Amino acid sequence: MSSLLNKQNVKKVGIRAAGTLSIPLAFVVVLLIVCASNGKTLIGNEIEFNTFMINVAVIMCTTIALSINLGSGRFDFSLGSMATLSSIIAAKISYSAGGGNTNAFFMIFLCLVVGAVLGLISGGLYVLLKIPPIITSLGVTLIYEGISYVITEGTYLTKEPYSDSMVTAGSNWWITLLIVLAVLAIIYVVFDHTKFGREYRSLKEGQNISVNTGIKEIPNALICYSVCGALMGIVGFLRAANTHMIGGSQLNFGSISLMFTAFLPMFIGGFIGRFSNDKLGYFLAAICMALINSMFLQFTNELTQASTSIINAVLLVAFLIFLNNEQTCKDLVTGKLFKKWWAKFKDRKAKMAENKQ
Amino acid sequence: MENVKENENINITPSAPVEEPAPKKNNNARKKELIKRWVINLLPIAALGILFAVYMILLIVNDYKISMSLTAFINQAIIIAFVATGAIFIFTLGSFDISLGASTLFSATIGVIVYISTGSVFAMFIVCILVAVACSLLNSVIAAVFHLPMFVTTVAMLSVLTAVASNIIQTEGSATGTSYAISVPYAMRAGLEAFNSPILKLIVLAVFALICVFVFEFTKIGRKQKFLGGNPICAKMSGISVSIFGIIAFVMAGIGVGLGAGMTIVYAPSVSTTTAGSIGMSVFIAIVFGGMPISGGARSRIYAALVGGTSYILLQNILNILLQSMGGARDGWVQLISAITFLAVVFVTGMNYRTKNLPR
Repeated sequence: MSSLLNKQNVKKVGIRAAGTLSIPLAFVVVLLIVCASNGKTLIGNEIEFNTFMINVAVIMCTTIALSINLGSGRFDFSLGSMATLSSIIAAKISYSAGGGNTNAFFMIFLCLVVGAVLGLISGGLYVLLKIPPIITSLGVTLIYEGISYVITEGTYLTKEPYSDSMVTAGSNWWITLLIVLAVLAIIYVVFDHTKFGREYRSLKEGQNISVNTGIKEIPNALICYSVCGALMGIVGFLRAANTHMIGGSQLNFGSISLMFTAFLPMFIGGFIGRFSNDKLGYFLAAICMALINSMFLQFTNELTQASTSIINAVLLVAFLIFLNNEQTCKDLVTGKLFKKWWAKFKDRKAKMAENKQ
Repeated sequence: MENVKENENINITPSAPVEEPAPKKNNNARKKELIKRWVINLLPIAALGILFAVYMILLIVNDYKISMSLTAFINQAIIIAFVATGAIFIFTLGSFDISLGASTLFSATIGVIVYISTGSVFAMFIVCILVAVACSLLNSVIAAVFHLPMFVTTVAMLSVLTAVASNIIQTEGSATGTSYAISVPYAMRAGLEAFNSPILKLIVLAVFALICVFVFEFTKIGRKQKFLGGNPICAKMSGISVSIFGIIAFVMAGIGVGLGAGMTIVYAPSVSTTTAGSIGMSVFIAIVFGGMPISGGARSRIYAALVGGTSYILLQNILNILLQSMGGARDGWVQLISAITFLAVVFVTGMNYRTKNLPR
């Protein structure tokens, strides 16, 4: 009996491991084959690996931030504008505090704090005005873009995010890896192992029932928005550390494109999460997307920006078609679909024959 | 859990109350409530009137040429008005299309190429409308056939259309500063000039709006769409097809986008990679500014798009005049104050529809 149980356990673990790793492994294999067949290396040197790690971190943080509110039916267009504004404010403060020399450690701390405050303001407006979150986020996006523009007068900040420590932070992949692991651990603990996390999941599944059972929705929503803001603060820092410039000229929703890059990893992460944990799923999905970006980098001469956008869009639609028609896809692979069609066809034929008689 | 969720969405309409002589106090409270609702419903139109009056005063006080300023204002507002009026059909279903701006850009790109090769404004408009309707249909058909959420399909379409249009513009056009553009040659611009009259544009908009009002208010299509937006589960159980009415909504939106794209070319006889970049989101603002709920349903109104779009552009023009002295940061201030005003207006117009829990 115990050996049987063990076998069942092993099978379960095997299925979960296969489900968790199948998509990332498939991505790695396909991308390696594509690169190898064209005489290229997916990630050829340390600089490219560093870019890959920053992409992983940016995509993972944005995806988690998007999924926290979207999972609860709260659409947030303001993610990109929060990343930009938090990094602008943090860069300005740390630059003047350091006497013209920005300290990366102080800057990331400020980005986190300012991002959390911006998120709290966004959530506070939503709670206070009680208007649909999609509308609040439209207004907040415009406000944050406007403030960024006013602070920078529509130009790029170049001297503030450039210092020795910022260069070190942006060019050492292990620092980015530490940030990724820290974010993953904190989000995992906060959302899976605290009272807040349990209440968040409860509200996500049934708002009315949860509120009626005594869960306080407003503090929960405010914490969610603050966490999203802090995550976007990290994104703002990583982008500033990588490019050493922060653009404040985006107006009229120019900042929302960042949010759209997180849709595909969010769906892939959600699928992987069915077999293990959704946060781990977002991390693995971010790796997949960063690998695609690395491949695009190798094919810069062959692929235009338009082609890469189209490939990403097709991947998004293809994956969603799979997600929303999973059973049909499985039947197609196993051949059951043709059997069903054949049976239906035969049924119709028989009915027609009966009708004729 | 799924069942619980579904049940939460069903609005159970209470049965008709037994007629009893209501106390006088209750009647007064009811009257007050009705008046409050009526006032709040009229607020977007009143706001439009006030904004227009303020704009005119500012033009006179600052010695602006009124006819030129009004022409520029109409040209700005008319494109959003066309796109937003058609998009009302999508919003009524409780859905939304993020790719409207990209669709406008793509239609305008194809339209300008057709005009350059044929010299016919009529052919250009027809092609713009056909391309926009085809894009819309592709959106809705993919969503319907593969059971995808409409919004995600439009996100993918946004990337594809922007990428394809940019590629065409870069191949066919020439570099202008930081972007690329396809410009109508000077010799051919006279044909477009004839259509660049504000009166003519307003007449076309009025005709389109009237057709939309007719379809929306006086046919089964509008009624069923409102039903679908208000209570999708009940509507589906009553035999109303989400797919069919989704496709109709996207076709109507496509016509609006096509007309908007045509007007874009008529106004500025060139199409660049940044053309119509913010239209998709401006349509959201216009519709909500006009007093229509984003969730769609029975409270959807065609005039919301016209009133909201016009008000938002007026507000921006007023702020542009008032904040002239702000220098390089002016555009930022204009957007900041417009956004705060937008949230304030939405807060006031939504006062009738507050829920106990936080809205989602």
